[in-house]
Amino acid sequence: MAKPKIASDWLCGCAGCHMSLLDIDERIIAVAELADLRSSPITDLKVPDITGVDVGILEGGINNTANEEVALRMRKSCKILVALGDCAVFGGVPAMRNFFTLEETLRRAYIETESTDSEGKIPDDPELMRPTQVRSLQQVVPVDIFVPGCPPDADTIFYVLAELAQGRIPDIKGDKLHWD
Amino acid sequence: MKVIINDKSIEVPQGTTVLQAARSAGFEIPTLCDHEALVPYGGCRLCLVEVQGARTLQPSCTLPVSEGMVVKTESEKISQARKFVLTLLFSERNHFCPYCQVSGGDCELQNSALKEGMVNWPLSPNWQRYPVDASHEYFVIDHNRCILCRRCVRACGELVGNFTLGFEDRGAKSFLVADFGVPMGESSCISCGTCTQVCPTGAIIDRVSAYRGKVVDVEHHNTICVGCSVGCGIDVLTRNNAMDRIEGNWSAAVNGGVICKVGRFIPLNEKRQRVNTPLVRRGDALQPATWEEALDEIALHLQPLVGNNGKDIAAMASTRLPAETLYAFKNLFTRSFGSEMVTATEEGVTTGLVAAQADELGKPFESHLGSVQAADCILNIGVNLADNHEVVGFFVKRILPGGVKLVIVDPETNPLEEQAEISLHPQLGSDADLLKCLSAAVVKLNLAKKAASISNESDLTSAVQKTGLTSEAIESVARLLASAKRPAIVYGKGITAQSTNTALKALLEFAELIGATLISTKGQANSVAAAQYHLDKPLKINGHQAAFILMADEKPSQRLIQKLENVPFLVVSASYISQLTAMADVVLPAAIWAEQEGHYLNLEGRLQLAQQSVIPQEQVWTSQATLEAVAARLGMQVEGEWEIELKKRVPAVAIS
Repeated sequence: MAKPKIASDWLCGCAGCHMSLLDIDERIIAVAELADLRSSPITDLKVPDITGVDVGILEGGINNTANEEVALRMRKSCKILVALGDCAVFGGVPAMRNFFTLEETLRRAYIETESTDSEGKIPDDPELMRPTQVRSLQQVVPVDIFVPGCPPDADTIFYVLAELAQGRIPDIKGDKLHWD
Repeated sequence: MKVIINDKSIEVPQGTTVLQAARSAGFEIPTLCDHEALVPYGGCRLCLVEVQGARTLQPSCTLPVSEGMVVKTESEKISQARKFVLTLLFSERNHFCPYCQVSGGDCELQNSALKEGMVNWPLSPNWQRYPVDASHEYFVIDHNRCILCRRCVRACGELVGNFTLGFEDRGAKSFLVADFGVPMGESSCISCGTCTQVCPTGAIIDRVSAYRGKVVDVEHHNTICVGCSVGCGIDVLTRNNAMDRIEGNWSAAVNGGVICKVGRFIPLNEKRQRVNTPLVRRGDALQPATWEEALDEIALHLQPLVGNNGKDIAAMASTRLPAETLYAFKNLFTRSFGSEMVTATEEGVTTGLVAAQADELGKPFESHLGSVQAADCILNIGVNLADNHEVVGFFVKRILPGGVKLVIVDPETNPLEEQAEISLHPQLGSDADLLKCLSAAVVKLNLAKKAASISNESDLTSAVQKTGLTSEAIESVARLLASAKRPAIVYGKGITAQSTNTALKALLEFAELIGATLISTKGQANSVAAAQYHLDKPLKINGHQAAFILMADEKPSQRLIQKLENVPFLVVSASYISQLTAMADVVLPAAIWAEQEGHYLNLEGRLQLAQQSVIPQEQVWTSQATLEAVAARLGMQVEGEWEIELKKRVPAVAIS
């Protein structure tokens, strides 16, 4: 039987969850022996196979239309979708942006910042993505597995990968379960 | 009553709640709004259980057991209900776990969710912006994190009697407010910090300890506050040998967990600079020296002064020091040096007359704080319980809503007046007259609990005039107090610091007439112990060649500094740099209260042991070690039976 395929991507996140994933250190070899690591933002292949993968992992919440597209693409491409980290699970720190209107946020970022030395202009090219309210992953696509943590421990991430690689659903509890 | 919980049959007294019964049977039920020191509230609904025959799940914290009740505390239905309650709590406001100060172990809300195995929130936060109130000096209120459990409101009312916190509006608009909706820093808040201690989330957080790390990582030190003579039991949290936060100890006998700002916040906001090394005056300036050099200098000047009827050396110790240290101090200067001018910083101001009265009576005559807590009518005279000994004030204020009547007698405006039944503002210095009039009024109204003769009418008229009050006012107070079944009198410096004991005697007589218990707020942490050791005379410098001041961490008063100005040789053992250390000839670095251990005798006679919470720097010695070193250098002894000596003098309140 072919090894299960795993793909990951990141949305509105700080990449910390992927760094925590890398913190599994040499255990990545064990994972690679059981599963086929396909695409990720930190390897050569960036986009999941057109033919689909078994497990999709997404870090970060949804904060613009580009994130929405990536999330939808991953959801379509995989059988089991994993929300990795507090941002994907809850919305996370970026979600604090929701206390302000989009206009206030864009104005602050592009016009009012202290380091802007000219007039500043909010980008409005039609090809650009549009910012939206910051949402957790499950507010946009159905999620199968939640791995909270900011970031989740490397041990927890290894456990999740190992379980999925062996065809099991991980049960996150006890020491592995924390929201900070 | 017989109750069956999870198929286990137990017997509990009537009135026990299902939650208490389950706990006694060894079953844990998760709670949020419940708290060991507060009356159950039933607000959060996390403690729901299945009760056979009941249509819906029931809150166990407020449900009293009934005979034969069958309860289940674990089931699929209960598990779903708990998750649902928590989901609603999270989505009600805005909770950001990733960066919150209490996230990761100190948040009861988060811990409850983790315990239920929740890996996500089915509902999103409401995204409506709630304010953050950072106007208060010692803590911050972030309303985004509030779960409306009302623990803070209940604590502010039930435990402290201040009633500053409350809730306005209803339903989703319910909102925690101070007074009628003012910033916390501008409210009637007295900064006791009880709300900060009971808040289960990061909604109310202490400014100093926030962001220092999780409480689960600290060390706890069960000790006694030395802010005043109440001696509240406290828990000092330290991290890497530094004080992180001070909390009230809920199981402490004296205070049951409540403490005031003097014990909780002020020690963590110390601005004074520490004395880090011994200093010796060479020429005009104080220069750093070793302990050896400092002790040599002391020996050089003090050795010649031994004997000579003790007229050459004066000594004073802080009443914030433990009994063992005060005893060693007395041993060294009274016995070994033979000095007659050995006293404590309080100079017997609050304890002198009271101790003399006990000596005269030959037995204790005051009672415990329990008598205040059980009173149905309280007379508060000669002490402002909002300014000092605040915890006694809490005990008074919090029972008033139960119908207890309070009488305030104060020449100045007293904050407790607002809750008093009657307030009298006699002229300053007319207490003795007032009390005589009160006694006379009690006799006149035939309410005296023991036989007494009425005073001369003309005496009374002049006495009334001296107070500036009307005889009607005095009579109404007399009637109120004399008709009470369990009257209690809380008094203090206003009566006990007077130059004669006339007012005190008049108070005692009045107390006897109405059958009231008495308790006085005897000054600083160990003022009572100092009095027991007869370290209570006023300091008089009269040709003394040297003075030894064991100041510890107390702030020296201007009066003291002035008195010592011309002493030829001044040794000061102190924790902090001050005008006093600046004018000394030898300065010895002293440990602060948290860096030493020893016994304290509180205002109700309780002898309590304070534990060390912080290890001082190498050069900083405890006052005890300092005395021992000085004694050793001079070939003297300070050892002895401190406890036996402590109990020799008849105390105002029996020592327990």
